[in-house]
Amino acid sequence: MLDHLKQSLDPALFWEYRVTLLAGLVENIAIFLASAVLASLLALAIGLARTSSNRFSRLLSAGYTELFRNTPEYVLLVWAYYVLPLILSRLLAQKLSISPVPAAILALGFAYSGFLSETVRTGLLAVPIGHREAAMALGMSRIDILRRIVFPQGLRRVLPDALNQYVSLFKATSIVSLIAVEDIMYQVSMINVEEMRPLPLYTGAALLYCAIVIAASQTIQVLTRRWRQRGWA
Amino acid sequence: MIDNFNRYVLGNADLLGQGLLMTLRICVQAFLLAIVLAVAVGLARVYVPMLRFLAAAYIEFFRATPILVQLLWVNYVWPDLFGFPQTAEQAGIIALALQSSGYLAETIRSGIEGLPRGQYDAGRAVGLSSLQIIRRIVAPQVVLVMAPSLISQMAVVIKSSTLVSVIAIPDLMYAAIRIVNQWFEPIEILTSTAFLYFLVIFLLSLAANRISDRFRTRFGLAE
Repeated sequence: MLDHLKQSLDPALFWEYRVTLLAGLVENIAIFLASAVLASLLALAIGLARTSSNRFSRLLSAGYTELFRNTPEYVLLVWAYYVLPLILSRLLAQKLSISPVPAAILALGFAYSGFLSETVRTGLLAVPIGHREAAMALGMSRIDILRRIVFPQGLRRVLPDALNQYVSLFKATSIVSLIAVEDIMYQVSMINVEEMRPLPLYTGAALLYCAIVIAASQTIQVLTRRWRQRGWA
Repeated sequence: MIDNFNRYVLGNADLLGQGLLMTLRICVQAFLLAIVLAVAVGLARVYVPMLRFLAAAYIEFFRATPILVQLLWVNYVWPDLFGFPQTAEQAGIIALALQSSGYLAETIRSGIEGLPRGQYDAGRAVGLSSLQIIRRIVAPQVVLVMAPSLISQMAVVIKSSTLVSVIAIPDLMYAAIRIVNQWFEPIEILTSTAFLYFLVIFLLSLAANRISDRFRTRFGLAE
């Protein structure tokens, strides 16, 4: 067992394949960034719709949130990769296919837009109604009210929660290997096929993810601390 | 479309049903194991100074690694390292349990630390032992606070359990993908599977919300 433990923690194999693994990690980060942008934009729209005065758009957006929050990411991923192109092909009456990377970005982006829209909604509701009314009384336009009154306060309020969602999103990028996106877990599996040494490879992957997630979330916490404390409603 | 639905989904209802049963079996076992682990780790984190660091590391590690990575790690590394799990099914259960236990242990910790100090002092003042204080004062309140997050964690376990198909456990997702690979007609089968998962998880989340609302009004446990 001690021998196996030493093998598991041996970084030599990881170092040997550092170029491939790093390329995989870059793929993860790229997919994370793209789907984070997609998810945030969707979540903003849906979050606004959820707090709108229109009953219909409230209902529709609540349905959207529930749908994407309660469907497993892996199922969405497989659905986006296999089913979406077929449906689009039928609708547009021409043959379409979707490559793994866009499918992954779409699936993760939509999945996390569900979680994030809930965060956006919380943030929007956290700003006291009196602030909006005061801004209206000053003659600010709706866009201005959102941009200058609601967002700065709401964002500060929900930042820790949003950060958790982004961390989950980054962790979820590991599943894109399952539709053959060449991310870090894909590379780890490929190297394992070649070297047949799962111990250092999978242990290393787990430790690497752990280190990245903890380091990134701590850094962002520290960096945003002062910004969050400034101008609290 | 209806034809395809009848043919691929209803025609394979037994296969999908078996898959769903496997999913539920794995989730229930993983969930029970997660609770046991979480209680042990959570208590160690708060009450055992010698194990505090170890428990904190455990919680951080399992919260910060993706479930797929843990699943493959447990499946490929643990048999050599610890001599178990012996089957893929056990590996799936352990990996799902480990992930959830990290989150739940953190909930237990915050539940315990959220209790006012005065309650311990009061317990001691009426002559309760430390164990009695935990059992009769701390535990009931922590369980109340935890109940909603326990149910939402159950939903997370079901979501994560879709990945156990990767290590060839014949769960619902595995059955669905097998049918897809057999007939190359993914639309109906994958959409139905997605909807089935959605339904199960949605109902659980709904229950979690109901319960947390109820607790909040009945026991005054405001967040």
